[in-house]
Amino acid sequence: MPAETYIMGLFRDDGKAARAIQDLGAAGFSFRRAHSPIPSHKIMEVLKLKKGRVGWFTLTGGILGFLSGFALAIFCSVQWDLIVSGKPIVALIPFVIVGFEFTILFSVFGNVIGLLVCSRLPDYRGLELYDPRCSGEHFGVLASCESTRQGELMGFFQKQGGEARVFE
Amino acid sequence: MTDLAYAQIDQTILNTLERPRPRYWFFVALVFCGVLLGAGAWTYQIFVGIGVGGQNIPVVWGTYLINFVFWVGIAHSGTLISAILHLFRAGWRNPIARAAETMTVFAVCVAGLFPFIHLGRVWQVYFMLPIPNQRFLWPNFLSPLVFDVVAISTYLTVSSLFWYTGLVPDLAVVRDRSTGLRYKIFRILSLGWTGAHHQWLNFSRGYLFFAALATPLVISVHSVVSWDFALGIVPGWHTTIFAPYFVAGAIHSGLAMVLTLMIPLRHIFRCERIITMDILENVAKTIILTGLIVGLAYGTEFFIAWYSRNPVEIESFHWRVTGTYAFGFYFMAFCNVLIPMMLLLKPLRRSIPWLFGISLIINFGMWWERFVIIVGGVAHDYPPHSWGFYAPSIIEYTILVGSFCLFLFLFLLFVKHMPSISMTEMKETATHAG
Repeated sequence: MPAETYIMGLFRDDGKAARAIQDLGAAGFSFRRAHSPIPSHKIMEVLKLKKGRVGWFTLTGGILGFLSGFALAIFCSVQWDLIVSGKPIVALIPFVIVGFEFTILFSVFGNVIGLLVCSRLPDYRGLELYDPRCSGEHFGVLASCESTRQGELMGFFQKQGGEARVFE
Repeated sequence: MTDLAYAQIDQTILNTLERPRPRYWFFVALVFCGVLLGAGAWTYQIFVGIGVGGQNIPVVWGTYLINFVFWVGIAHSGTLISAILHLFRAGWRNPIARAAETMTVFAVCVAGLFPFIHLGRVWQVYFMLPIPNQRFLWPNFLSPLVFDVVAISTYLTVSSLFWYTGLVPDLAVVRDRSTGLRYKIFRILSLGWTGAHHQWLNFSRGYLFFAALATPLVISVHSVVSWDFALGIVPGWHTTIFAPYFVAGAIHSGLAMVLTLMIPLRHIFRCERIITMDILENVAKTIILTGLIVGLAYGTEFFIAWYSRNPVEIESFHWRVTGTYAFGFYFMAFCNVLIPMMLLLKPLRRSIPWLFGISLIINFGMWWERFVIIVGGVAHDYPPHSWGFYAPSIIEYTILVGSFCLFLFLFLLFVKHMPSISMTEMKETATHAG
């Protein structure tokens, strides 16, 4: 089986990058990734991506935080059950504040974990098939093909208005 | 908003990270001396005792708590600009959001020191934490002071994570234009970010959730700070208006601090095409709004005192405008309400010297507002025989100066070593404008 070659098409316009992604499949090449300096709606639309799943992590964190905040406040109160200022030992209204802060805190922890998991970060190996210009002003489309079709894929990107970079 | 191309945006901001001149290190060394001075004063207080401060019965809450509320307030506008204005899709926030977020993180760090300083026996701080101890004592979660521990630590954690998350794509830009040791450092810090489509998809979603979570948090934090006072039955403190009053005041002072920091920053780094006059004008317009809210709060306090017919409350507010600290009240009203109204005049709003001067005056006035509220309450409460007077000692002044130096020290280090303007958000602004 012939070896696979990775080639990145670099475009100055996200519209052209999106069009290249759209036409890659029809030309018989495999799309791998798109890189951009900003989130591009045109690229997202072409890729027909569903919403990220970060929200589920955030929600889980929030629920855990709400329960933990209340549980901590109740646990501490019942350890030393002295009535202070005539308030009940388990005074739910003040504990809402603790519950609220913990909800936010744990939601954010969930959000960060979700972000790292869903974005597959940290990912230092991803830099091997990456062009630094993609953080500047270029939109990169990474595609692969059999090494025998390398010239075809380079020609495809150039025809689409970009320049091609081959990863050895 | 900006007519710059992506490459120009990158270049303008990356230029701020060039090797600093000796003058920069001179300023860093100068403020570091101030930090050492403050640290020295605190060390002296730890060895000698809290009595070296001016706090004494009846005014046991003095400068340390004033500084705490002041710095927490400064921290608020960062989240307002980065989170609330992000949710409102206000594009003008983009060039100043990063610096404001940084200001938030450092201001909360500085604020967080003051409860420790005020504690005196700082090594006993663990009593505030819910950890098992030999006496089986646990924090009392009915106390607003414990609410505060939870709220401030949550705010510090959330704002730091929010700040770092927003930095990641920009750290990758710096990485991609660096070599040697700098490359290695930014490679690690940027977590291997490549701007891949799945990364942006989740980043945009996660950042939106961050903003949505930080918005109620920022409002809750200063409300909780206000309840440190409002839940005490001290005249002048015990009022339901305190939460919105403190939140508005916090945003007022924070916006003024944004101007105080951004005006020199844009001049020194020659970022006038990024941090434009229109952006500074928008901050000034927001200051007019917060100034009016603060003014309304000042007036409402007096109205409620009069309307309640409570003699202690009436006496407290009568003393506020005629007593020992009356000058402080007039000074704060002048600085926080009247001076900001000068910004109604467009020529002043678009004049850099005026904007800078007014922002400094508001910062000064907002510190005095906290003095009037905190000291004024306990210095003149119920029984006349316990009325008293408070003046900060030299140790308290030194720690105050040290806190400003610490804030400036951290900020100066940041702006020269990390991107202080978000390149990614500036590019998004440029794209949408185009």
